[in-house]
Amino acid sequence: MNIEAVMTAILSAALLSAVPLVLASTGEAIGERAGLLNLGTEGIMLVGAFSGFWVSLRTESLALGLLGGAAAGCLAGALFGIGCVVIGADQVLLGLGLTLAGGGLTAFLFRELFGSSQPLLPTSAGRPFNTLAEHLPVIGPGVFGQKWFFYVAWLIVFGAELVMRRTTFGLRIRAVGESPQAVDAVGISVTRTQCLAATIAGCLAGLGGAGLSVMELGFFQPNVTLGLGFIAIALAMLGRWTPWRIAVIAIMFGLLRGLGSGLQLTRWDVSPDLLQLLPYVGVIVALILTGKGLRMPSALGQTYAQRRRRRPATGSATQE
Amino acid sequence: MVTLRQIRPLRLPQRFPAPALLDSFGAVLIALLCGALLLIVTGHDPVLAYREWVERAILRPAGWQETLVRATPLLFAGLAVLLAMRAGAWNIGIDGQVLTGALAAAIAADWFGGDHRVPLWIIAAVAGLVTGALWAIIPALLRGRYGINEIVTTIMFNYIAMFVTAWLVKGPLGDPDVVLPQTRLIPRDLRLITLGDTRVHIGLIMAIALVLVGGLFLNRTVAGFELTATGASPRAARHGQIPTGKYITGALIGSGAIAALAGVNDVLSTKGVFQGEWNPEYGLVAFALVFLGQRSIIGLFPAALFFGQLSYAADVMPRAAGIAPAFFPTIEGALLITLAVTVWIRHQRGKR
Repeated sequence: MNIEAVMTAILSAALLSAVPLVLASTGEAIGERAGLLNLGTEGIMLVGAFSGFWVSLRTESLALGLLGGAAAGCLAGALFGIGCVVIGADQVLLGLGLTLAGGGLTAFLFRELFGSSQPLLPTSAGRPFNTLAEHLPVIGPGVFGQKWFFYVAWLIVFGAELVMRRTTFGLRIRAVGESPQAVDAVGISVTRTQCLAATIAGCLAGLGGAGLSVMELGFFQPNVTLGLGFIAIALAMLGRWTPWRIAVIAIMFGLLRGLGSGLQLTRWDVSPDLLQLLPYVGVIVALILTGKGLRMPSALGQTYAQRRRRRPATGSATQE
Repeated sequence: MVTLRQIRPLRLPQRFPAPALLDSFGAVLIALLCGALLLIVTGHDPVLAYREWVERAILRPAGWQETLVRATPLLFAGLAVLLAMRAGAWNIGIDGQVLTGALAAAIAADWFGGDHRVPLWIIAAVAGLVTGALWAIIPALLRGRYGINEIVTTIMFNYIAMFVTAWLVKGPLGDPDVVLPQTRLIPRDLRLITLGDTRVHIGLIMAIALVLVGGLFLNRTVAGFELTATGASPRAARHGQIPTGKYITGALIGSGAIAALAGVNDVLSTKGVFQGEWNPEYGLVAFALVFLGQRSIIGLFPAALFFGQLSYAADVMPRAAGIAPAFFPTIEGALLITLAVTVWIRHQRGKR
């Protein structure tokens, strides 16, 4: 196999496989910026993957499937937000519960609905820029030869970056994760901001899951995400909760993973198990190199009990 | 400047949280009801299914014995999670520590075990303990020294453990006489002896003893108190001259060592061998178990029994009542969600 074909395959696989990851990770980052550590991302992705698959199969429309996955993710994310913020449940507990319940429920329903059969979705989605792809070697097929969802996903990530950085809403989300007291004091609802952030986070995770099952694979299997949700949590932290950094890291993660399978095609004799290590070791090395000064959002993981009637804070709380 | 509110008051966990454990009992009931509802929705008969469950998986000798057998590694894993949690750290790396510990135990038993039971067990356990601790050391130091979040690093180490152990048993450490990627089989008469005529083996007694020792350490010693204080309120602990970084590092390393014992237990009893694709995934269940036990030592015992039972039921019920094994993780998830929500119920009750 010639080197150009291998590089082309690695690049386009890396960019494609980065899509579910970058969506879920961006969602997780938005949630964590608002102070909500959602360990249920894996479960929400599975719920999105299953609902997306089921809706696509029923309606025979890939776009509706993706929407269905995103909607299911919204619902799960909203439940997580309400549970943490309104009810005051432990975030880690509720997150792990969502992961277990999401994984179990989707696997159970899949077996109930389809038994041991494995229905497949049509994989022919439009590739809008395919004409451009043929003119460029190596990067052409990877960057321009993808299905339309690929471009929509990157647009969403770009939009998330803009919203977080440039809008009042983004500012509120960031502020609520740093100091809910301050946000409460200026009269913005902490509850509403955090619930909205959790819903958006769930929506992106669900869309990521649906992207995986509907667009990338064309089928659903119990536990199809294979821990992608947990990797998304890691990447969110490694990317310091900024969508563009997360995007870069997710692509590098995908490249390292692709490099593993790519090297197997060459004559070089290395065990495939060891090559699969590359992306995970890469994350740890990157954390060691950059993580020392890493500052988490101050209120991450803490529940803030918003007062019903606002009154001046009493004595000890405000003394510096 | 530190505002006074930022220092959380030092509230230590209770030794025997009786009312909270009652909450757990209620949560189990609600989760089982959710399961019944799911069965109705999908067209099963919940009464029939649950009756079959009780009969096959609990009342029959194989049922309760297998429940105890499966509760044994869960006790080790639960104690590991609890130890780290008391110091305020999340050890999500149980899976990796179990895998590396189990492989080390299988190899050590094969190379240095000899022909006698007890020395073989001790050698395997020590090998497992050391390997588990070593596997936890990098995340532990990164967290304790530099404050790098242990959730991310331990998750990554799980994947690394999966691939490294798979590679080791396929290549350098595998049994050359067998096609399957696995270590050499430990003969049945060298494994952990069973109690009477049951399947239950003395690993269970060791697990119970270790959990009790862990309880004594956490609740009755100065080091245990300082470790708990570190987790309850790091800032207050630092003001009290407690070296919080050292305690977090130590707790994570200890947690890794104890988690590895779950793997050692399986290799020395039910498995007798380390196989390439084997991954029991105790990590998530161990977390669920600790929360079900309300983060107390005493609570670990009933919680381990319950999850051991679920694990066995997931194996029996597909054939007995045609219920997919995924039904049981669903119940576990519903249980955790219910547990999380009981905070609110408790709060409402307190208001009245």
